[in-house]
Amino acid sequence: MSTIIPWNLAVIPERFFFFRDAAFYTLQITTLGILAGLIIGLIVAFAKIAKNPILSNLAAGYIFIIRGTPLLLQLFIIYYGMTTVVTIPPFPSAVIALGIHNGAYIAEVFRGSIISIDYGQMEAARSLGMPHSRAMRRIVLPQAFKRAVPPLGNQFIIALKDSSLASTIAVPELLLRGRQLGSSSFMYMEMLIIVAIWYLIMTSVLTYAVHRVEKRLRVSDRDQT
Amino acid sequence: MTKLKEPFLRIEHLEKWYGDLHVLRDISLDIAEKEVLVVIGASGSGKSTLLRCLNFLEKAQKGKFYLDGKKIRNNERDLNRVRQEMGMVFQHFNLFPHMSVIKNVMEGPVHVKGLPKKQARNIAHKLLDKVGLGDKADTYPAMLSGGQKQRVAIARALAMEPRVMLFDEPTSSLDPELVGDVLKVMEDLGREGMTMVVVTHEMWFAKEAADRVIFMDDGIILEEATPEKMFTSPENERTQAFLKQILPQE
Repeated sequence: MSTIIPWNLAVIPERFFFFRDAAFYTLQITTLGILAGLIIGLIVAFAKIAKNPILSNLAAGYIFIIRGTPLLLQLFIIYYGMTTVVTIPPFPSAVIALGIHNGAYIAEVFRGSIISIDYGQMEAARSLGMPHSRAMRRIVLPQAFKRAVPPLGNQFIIALKDSSLASTIAVPELLLRGRQLGSSSFMYMEMLIIVAIWYLIMTSVLTYAVHRVEKRLRVSDRDQT
Repeated sequence: MTKLKEPFLRIEHLEKWYGDLHVLRDISLDIAEKEVLVVIGASGSGKSTLLRCLNFLEKAQKGKFYLDGKKIRNNERDLNRVRQEMGMVFQHFNLFPHMSVIKNVMEGPVHVKGLPKKQARNIAHKLLDKVGLGDKADTYPAMLSGGQKQRVAIARALAMEPRVMLFDEPTSSLDPELVGDVLKVMEDLGREGMTMVVVTHEMWFAKEAADRVIFMDDGIILEEATPEKMFTSPENERTQAFLKQILPQE
């Protein structure tokens, strides 16, 4: 077998768990980045929907800048660019960049799902005498969140893979660990395959989790038979 | 009709534009307590807009509103309070799809009035029985037919114990065979003494249940009369033309 394939695939199971700590880093950057992104996204979505033109323009500007520039550039601006003001260590830099970046995309997901809810829902709630904010919270948002789940799941998977950019600023996550172990052992391909398997496991688990959530939320949607 | 007639809901000089379009022109209208008022007219005549202005879902540019002789001010607190006294039933039901039928009906009492859940549940069960859907309490709206949805919507509005019920073409999006059940519930409500304003194309309902019918045309109230008068000898020729078009030829 080794005569056909020019790589020593036997080391893949042997060294698989050399990457455990790195995988944990990847998971941490992603989770914290997504959490920050969700909070930023929710705030920005409401700001963009707001009738106040200052708020909605600020939100639109934020989305314009963040979606119009690469994540790697945003990461460098935070890690290298900010050093004249404040030095941010690699790990928090990665989390902040991922949070700000995902915040813009998640804001658009939330905004889209909120405005997709039929205006009759708001009217029905208001006709009961419910104040606007409570109608939003009790009637519109629960339905909007449900619609947001599939695109959010998609965004989370993108965020997980994007966390690999943190390797460029020396966060010891999966991709950086793969390159380090690859160069020290001269088994680049083998190590990178291990990295790929780790990513695939994590994206699979995430996909499955999102699918489960979608299924649970679908209870009330069953069509009439 | 020996119903009590007292000034209850009053609209004075209501004006409404959508951009350049003048949809309601200087409308004044009194609605008495326990009166069933049916509003008819062609589409685009402003009848739905009038109803929606009554509930402030549309903001009129001009006009004064009085409930029980008290002026309704155009601020959020006043409007939320007044809306609690006016139940609204929509053409497209607008049930809350993420809540079971009983939760739909309990939503107002619990989350607007602040009633304890147990008490709200009792009210909701009674109302669902009343509209003939006692066995559907735990299903979701998506499982119901249009007629059933609309009856849940009526129960949801009634759960607030409103003093007026507004119906905005409640049967217009229903299959013909489902219309009867909804109208039956509405007819019973009127007979029990609920004050009702009903925008509808169901002339049968107007004949059977209305105390008064108004015909709207191009943003004004062109004619108002008892149902007998309206359907046998309308005075205005536009009313005559409209009724000729809509009533089945005998």
